[in-house]
Amino acid sequence: MKKKKDKKRLPEKQKRGSFSKEELEALQKAGLDTSSLLMCCRCDMSPDGEYKDSWICFDEKGLYCAWGTEEIDAKKTKHGKHEIHVTIDTISALPIEDADRLICEKYVSTGALVTEKDGELQYLSRFSIGKLGEADTFANAFNDYKNKGSFDLPPEDDQNEDKCKICGEPCPPGKEYCRKHEKNSATAIRLFKFFGGYIPQVALIIFMMLLGSAVRVYVPQIGTRALFDTLLANPDGNPVAEQIKALGTLVLSIFGIRLIHTVMSAVQQYFTGSIMPRVTYDIKMRIFKAMQRLSLNFYSSKQTGSLMERVVRDSNNIYWFFVDGVPEIIIDAATIIGVIAIMFSMSWRLTLIVLAAIPLVFLTLYFGDKVFRGMHHRSWLFSAKLSSMVSDNINGQKIIKAFSKEDDEYQRFSDVNENYRKAELRLSLFEATAFPLIEALIVILSAIVLGVGGVMVAKGTLTTGTLLSFIVYFEMLIEPFDFLSWVSDWWARCADSAQRVFEICDAQAQITEKENAVGFDELRGEIDIRELSFEYEPARPVIKKLSLHVNAGEMLGIVGKTGAGKTTIANLIARLYDAKQGCILIDDIDVRDLKLSELRKNIGLVSQDIYLFIGTIADNIRYAKPDADMSEVIAAAKAASAHDFIMKLPDGYETRVGAGGRSLSGGERQRISIARTIIQNPKILILDEATAAMDTETERNIQGSLSKLKKGRTTLAIAHRLSTLRDADRLAVIEDGTIVENGTFEELIRKKGAFYKLYKIQAEALKNAGILSSTDEAEPQDETED
Amino acid sequence: MENQITNITPDTLKTEFLTAEDCRFFTSPGGFLGAEIRGEPHRRVILSRALPISQPEDYLCVSDVDKKELGIIEHLSDFPEDQQKLMREDLNLRYYCPAIDSIESIKEKMGQFYFDVKIGGKKKSFTVKDISKSIRANGDGIDITDVDANRYRIPDLASIPAKSRRMLEPYVY
Repeated sequence: MKKKKDKKRLPEKQKRGSFSKEELEALQKAGLDTSSLLMCCRCDMSPDGEYKDSWICFDEKGLYCAWGTEEIDAKKTKHGKHEIHVTIDTISALPIEDADRLICEKYVSTGALVTEKDGELQYLSRFSIGKLGEADTFANAFNDYKNKGSFDLPPEDDQNEDKCKICGEPCPPGKEYCRKHEKNSATAIRLFKFFGGYIPQVALIIFMMLLGSAVRVYVPQIGTRALFDTLLANPDGNPVAEQIKALGTLVLSIFGIRLIHTVMSAVQQYFTGSIMPRVTYDIKMRIFKAMQRLSLNFYSSKQTGSLMERVVRDSNNIYWFFVDGVPEIIIDAATIIGVIAIMFSMSWRLTLIVLAAIPLVFLTLYFGDKVFRGMHHRSWLFSAKLSSMVSDNINGQKIIKAFSKEDDEYQRFSDVNENYRKAELRLSLFEATAFPLIEALIVILSAIVLGVGGVMVAKGTLTTGTLLSFIVYFEMLIEPFDFLSWVSDWWARCADSAQRVFEICDAQAQITEKENAVGFDELRGEIDIRELSFEYEPARPVIKKLSLHVNAGEMLGIVGKTGAGKTTIANLIARLYDAKQGCILIDDIDVRDLKLSELRKNIGLVSQDIYLFIGTIADNIRYAKPDADMSEVIAAAKAASAHDFIMKLPDGYETRVGAGGRSLSGGERQRISIARTIIQNPKILILDEATAAMDTETERNIQGSLSKLKKGRTTLAIAHRLSTLRDADRLAVIEDGTIVENGTFEELIRKKGAFYKLYKIQAEALKNAGILSSTDEAEPQDETED
Repeated sequence: MENQITNITPDTLKTEFLTAEDCRFFTSPGGFLGAEIRGEPHRRVILSRALPISQPEDYLCVSDVDKKELGIIEHLSDFPEDQQKLMREDLNLRYYCPAIDSIESIKEKMGQFYFDVKIGGKKKSFTVKDISKSIRANGDGIDITDVDANRYRIPDLASIPAKSRRMLEPYVY
């Protein structure tokens, strides 16, 4: 059983919440006795609605609000500690007996804590919307304390409260920096660990790269210097035949060197190409494994596109940086070092001239590239907008034509296209002017080197061949510097991708299995929901202290309006989410104490949102039981009234469905999903609006399938259409997150409460639609009109 | 069917707005906005903007605490000054959207954009995700929504320092 006692925060413990030492000292200085504070919360707005630091807390005697400023002096960081200056301007106190309840109200971009006393409301404090969660927790703690004399703290409160070493903002548990200041070097180290299994190959690759660079750097020594100084100048006056022989040797040497360079390049690329797919495979597997481990709320908070991007694009970003970027960095760095060393050996004077000018070239390239990228990004944004507009237009053609809006659409497209044209034009003009300017700068520098070098040749301190090869070496420097001027951006993108990958790998699943989780000996299927509370977002409770009992083998219908919390109950029973307060017991065992596999194996969920995986119909039916043979698959399909329509398909059970597969109607898809649940053979069946989107005839067919499925199981049928629940043993009406009525159909009709109202509304609607005549109205005889 | 067609008259598309004669706003003892609407007192009413971005002071929906609509105000400016002040204060608290004086830095990391700005002379940092949706051009100004749904505004892009403008421009979609 869950040890609740550990999480209680009792007055005797004098828990001070999460205020820092500096904050407590400042509050103490302002006249507040901080020794017995029970719970604290930071807010960020003044009573007149401007940003201002504020602190709210309570103890046994009162509720306190203070406003002031908190400044974190990042520069004075010493041994990881920050100088925090807290100044309190105003402080107010409200005796605890003057607040019966604390309400956390959510507005558009702000919120407020409001006290209630004898039905009268009073503003206590305001906050920006980002503080809603903290404020809601505080309000709940206060209300629990008022009601029970104690309160539970959420798990977050127990987490590590490390602050970023740079800005002092909170950072993820176990980390030294916040997301903003997380260092790329840490990511790089983690990324390089993926190469841990390939150290010999990596060492060979680096060796080949360095050797290749050395060979490449050596080429001008022969190709230019030796050609001019030894062959063309012919200082020893050798005969022509000997000169031609020497020329042949020279050409063969150059060819040989080039060949060696090519071989080394090929070997390096071969090994890089053989390692990188394995590394990206490992990365993708790591992400995918982490994704399977994570809870449903992780997927609710992330867009599907964003997650797909992480698996595919981010791992590809890493791949290309390591395949193209890293070798280029090593080669270019080695080239720069090698070239400068050779240049020094040739002429230290000319080298100093070049080195003096290099920063200018580097900075010009760096800033030119930055402006270019900014302009390119803008152009890309307009291009993306244009694409989405075309897609919007194609998909909406029927509506466009129906409203005769072709000309307006043309104008809308024209406006965006005009913006795109302007952005492209600016980009082209920049390219056309900036790049020649950079080229001109390099030409000027070459001319200076040539001029100074020419004088040196004239004076006899430098040979022509040396000068020309010096110019070649100088030009060899430009490309590596150009690359190094923007490779940091490339690395930043790679590091971003890597951090996003690690974010998934490091994410903590909210639904976890306990170490000593138990299974069922023999499941009966009794469900007991006790004082259950749940919210998807702070201050928006969906389930409020809901209690409900379902006997083993019973069919309970849950009815209520849209948004009343019906589906949430199903999600909580299947433990797709965990309750904030209260518990759900299945056969007297808390679902949080059960093995997840055991729980999910015994709960079958048929929901309105049907998802069929890519594959055949047979594969989809046997999803829960992959070893099911065809006779079981056919039996399940027959029980779900799916067999007949499957057999009419040209490929029968081998019809491919899912993305890119055959389109099936909603009813057909639903019947496949029911067959999938039948083959699972769960003890507890949850039908969550399973037929809500069906037409009446399809619903009748599916109802027949569902009736077969209910036998021998505990069934929870959730619906807003009462006709769906005609077989239910008992009905529970849910309103605003709580059960308002519970009983048999006849009992609820007689009660003339919420269910009766729903029943009357639906019966009226059917009558108006001509589906039900006044005489058909299935109302018990003893009913009278209110 | 015939009945439905004859129902669509020019009056069907007319909205009846609350006028200054219909309602009077006041501050209730708890500090909340209250109103007397067509003779019926409400200790607390909630104002919602129909066009919070382009026309924040037009088409204001007045509802009670149970979110039941009591009426719609067409133009805030049609009301007396004191009434306008009360409504404006309440709206500004709900739709708090401080004006950014200048942008100190925009740093991108992991697809998130970290903004360091100055609001009312004080430094403020916030994070923006999905810039194509979170940064919106609005007339001459820019609206920014951060990851926590806090809103910020640059009323006139031309009025902020050129350096700030240069930093922001690549992200204005």
